[in-house]
Amino acid sequence: MGGDRRATAGNVIVTDRVDKVIELDATSLLAIAGVPATAFEMARVLETSFEYYRRSQLQTLSLPAKVRALARLLRENLPMTMQGVGVVMPLFAGVDQTVSPPQPQIYFYDPLGAQFHAVGYAASGSGSGTIRSILSFQDRYGQPRPTEMNLQQAVQFALRLLMIASEFDSATGGVNPQADTFATIKVLRGSGVEAILAGRQAELLKS
Amino acid sequence: MTEEPYRWLEAIGNRREYVREQLKGGSPVFAASLQEGILLLGVGTGHSKVFELFDRHALAGLGHPADIEKIRQAAIDAAHLEAFNRAPESVSLRRLVGFGLSPQLKTNFEQIFTAPFLVELLLTEVGGEPGQDLITRLHFDGAFQLHTKGIVVAASQPDSELAAQTWLNQMLAAKAGPGETVEVLLQAWWCLTEGKPFDGGLPSEAERRDGWRKAVNGRTVEVGRLVRKADRRARYQELSLGQLVL
Repeated sequence: MGGDRRATAGNVIVTDRVDKVIELDATSLLAIAGVPATAFEMARVLETSFEYYRRSQLQTLSLPAKVRALARLLRENLPMTMQGVGVVMPLFAGVDQTVSPPQPQIYFYDPLGAQFHAVGYAASGSGSGTIRSILSFQDRYGQPRPTEMNLQQAVQFALRLLMIASEFDSATGGVNPQADTFATIKVLRGSGVEAILAGRQAELLKS
Repeated sequence: MTEEPYRWLEAIGNRREYVREQLKGGSPVFAASLQEGILLLGVGTGHSKVFELFDRHALAGLGHPADIEKIRQAAIDAAHLEAFNRAPESVSLRRLVGFGLSPQLKTNFEQIFTAPFLVELLLTEVGGEPGQDLITRLHFDGAFQLHTKGIVVAASQPDSELAAQTWLNQMLAAKAGPGETVEVLLQAWWCLTEGKPFDGGLPSEAERRDGWRKAVNGRTVEVGRLVRKADRRARYQELSLGQLVL
């Protein structure tokens, strides 16, 4: 899961140092797109409630329950969405523990809280139109397809996707390896989350 | 009317005696502040004795499972509420015990017409450096002691608890690794449960090693660790004896 670093207010760039991919717990990632104030608060609510459940009930919350927890927050945010000041369109990645070996799964949402299971890939946010087009092309005609990429290929691909998206969308940005600025990239495996920090992204890009 | 205070004192005394009697035979639990973090150990028979509370906090206890569960839930609720309303970094063991659990336990203990909590507890908070660790020994009546280093024991009988704690702190240097620490803690556990003395009559090391290995058959050895350095906020890890090469 990867994200750019830009936050905007209208046509003003507020910052190019936002982390939009948030580790909710050891097996859940949330990528946020939309209004940061609402999105970060949703992440905080989910982070606390997932960990609270795990510690108090001595078991992790199931993947469907996590997916619905986010859907419920989006539904509860409907008035703000309708007013046009609080829309959030996140991506969620969690691990399905009911299969062996456990498998990571991707979900995407509409602003009203409908949840969709993504097969292979998903994108959200202002730059997602460009990214989805490239992903779709790569998935159909590319070698390797996104699902067949190793870590190095996937990191290179994610960085290039975000840089291309920033050329078409002014609200996507903050990713420019030549200027030593990198994306937020986290890898979710059946065993847990690994953050690919800036130094590692630079290494993977060179090798 | 004049004799009422004396009745109350007697009732409290009886209550203390009753709790100690009920806790007799409880399996002791241990917490050790090490270089790499805090290690907690308990040996149970079906019911868990070692628990994660929050990012840097854990609990080990002996007593009635329902009472341990009530305290555990209260601690988890308070820690998560604090973390959500303020910040995860704001959750502190001193406040959790000093202003939360201890007053509740004391109030419960002094209400002589309600059932007392049958618990003896250890609560721990891992710090950035070994000297910043905190281990709290919390008693059924709300009394507590704070320790910033070494090994702390919670057992049903105060005398043997103190003897075991003194012996363990002499045996284990601060730089002992987790495997070595668990081995010695299990020896102390065996001595405590078998009523062996920690002074001149202490069984030999071979006897102690053999003793705990036989005694844990059919029981579950629970080892939890709060690691000092980690990428994730949640520092608690469960360890098996196999991982510790015992």
